[in-house]
Amino acid sequence: MLLYAIARQSFRRHLTYRAAAAAGLLTNFFFGIVRVAVLTALYDGRPEAAGITLPAAITFTALSQAVIGPLAAFSWFDVMRSVHSGEIAGDLLRPIGYLTYWLAHDFGRALTQFLLRGVPMLIGYVLLFPWIAPADTHFVWPQGGAMWTATGVCAVLAWLISFGWRFLSNLSAFWSPDARGIIRFVFSLSWFASGFLFPLRYFPDWLQQLCALTPFAYTVNAITEVYLGLQRGGDVVRLLAIQAAWAVALLAAGALVLRAGVRRLVILGG
Amino acid sequence: MMSTMPHLPSHPTARSSSSLRPPLADLHHHLGLLVRLVGAQVRSQLQYRVSFTMDVVSSFLMFGFEFGALAALFVRFETLGGWTLGEVAFMGGLTAVSFKTMDMLFSGFDPPAFGEHVRKGTFDAILLRPAPLTLQVLGSRFVLMRVGAIAEGVAVFALALWLVDVHWTAAKLTFLPLVVIGQLAFFAALFVIGSTVTFWTVDSIEAMNILTYGGHELNQYPAHIYPLGLRRFFTYVVPTLFLAYYPTLYLLDKPDPTGMPSWVRFIGPVIGLGAFAGATAIWHIGIRHYRSTGT
Repeated sequence: MLLYAIARQSFRRHLTYRAAAAAGLLTNFFFGIVRVAVLTALYDGRPEAAGITLPAAITFTALSQAVIGPLAAFSWFDVMRSVHSGEIAGDLLRPIGYLTYWLAHDFGRALTQFLLRGVPMLIGYVLLFPWIAPADTHFVWPQGGAMWTATGVCAVLAWLISFGWRFLSNLSAFWSPDARGIIRFVFSLSWFASGFLFPLRYFPDWLQQLCALTPFAYTVNAITEVYLGLQRGGDVVRLLAIQAAWAVALLAAGALVLRAGVRRLVILGG
Repeated sequence: MMSTMPHLPSHPTARSSSSLRPPLADLHHHLGLLVRLVGAQVRSQLQYRVSFTMDVVSSFLMFGFEFGALAALFVRFETLGGWTLGEVAFMGGLTAVSFKTMDMLFSGFDPPAFGEHVRKGTFDAILLRPAPLTLQVLGSRFVLMRVGAIAEGVAVFALALWLVDVHWTAAKLTFLPLVVIGQLAFFAALFVIGSTVTFWTVDSIEAMNILTYGGHELNQYPAHIYPLGLRRFFTYVVPTLFLAYYPTLYLLDKPDPTGMPSWVRFIGPVIGLGAFAGATAIWHIGIRHYRSTGT
């Protein structure tokens, strides 16, 4: 119940920034359209590449722009700030674990972002599809109830993994006053390896395998794979299982590192 | 540290005495002041060495990863709108060097950062100081970590030179720096206009990001791949495409699928410097109409 209350508060707090979300949406949409033009030119009349048809590729650009908000794909320094400012002292006194608190908080944030930026982005693409895609093609949706459910589960797991590495990288603030640079570095790595810029399938095999070693590949790219139906049946289940394993591993690592960090934490009074 | 701190001369009579001094001495004084302000910024940012290094490395990698992802696609797709990887890298590197250098030099005019001055009322303090306003804004912020992104732009351009056999002539070699300066001036103009707008709107407007960062993105790829509406807007309303795409057609001897007359390949630098002059004029109008938010 407490977690629910925190998530709800966070949801309502983020909901107040509607104008900012609408403005950000416009920029995301612009970059999405540029991405569509680049992919269309790369396809150059090919009906499909690496198993992805052109309408599916265009749908991917919508997905990639839609997850920026919910997965905080560009930056997230909240935990770092709480450590550096000393606010963490108050947070640690709460009758709820620090990690759990932030998890609930981030859930509320992600949900607002999904509603304010994710959903409108997809709707915008559906409406503009006739102008940005080849004639007689359609925006791609998951095929059937099972795939919708799988996509939903996959998206939630992707958010957990994303929270996991964001939280973990933010914990570097316990050891370093320079955490911002470290976190930025992790984010720039995530852009490439998460399949946010382009679906990993387009890459040469060795590069795909390299990306698959990181947790990032199980965020945006996993959503793309399941949503577009590039994985089927047992492969979907396997993908979701790997996602769950990464989520558990990252959260466990977060809890361990947090404990070590808190042990060396010194809060100055005043 | 104390010995290296800039000693800013206090000179309440600077304005009245300027008419007595030759203009060149004035310019020299102003440049000296700018160097000191920027120098102070640079030194303060170098205090946190690890942080600074990480920031430079990640800003180098950020663009590197973006370009790397695109480059990896050429293995499968081979060309982008008829351009090879080297040709795309040529234009992308040129644009990155121009834009990121501008982003560093004109950090003070970055609309969200500048809007902060207007919102918090600290711009009032700038107005009161006995030094030229524009110079103070330029010296108020200097994001040195952009050198990482600039270096990446240079690396991408170097890669392009290795991949593409450019038929260099004396004319092309003269034109190349003008393209960089023109594009730098053009995006600087957009920064200045975006900042001036905050005099009225207080908050920086998001639409400006589409023109600045969006324009930078547009100038990374051959423009003929864009939908007609988008291309027309960025040709006739905001002439971004003249700054990188058309000059690159000339430098690389590429055909023009957009069917523009051939002289448009050379007007980029003129447009860039013209936009900068226009933006300066708008900036001065803005200053005259500035009203403090009262905070």
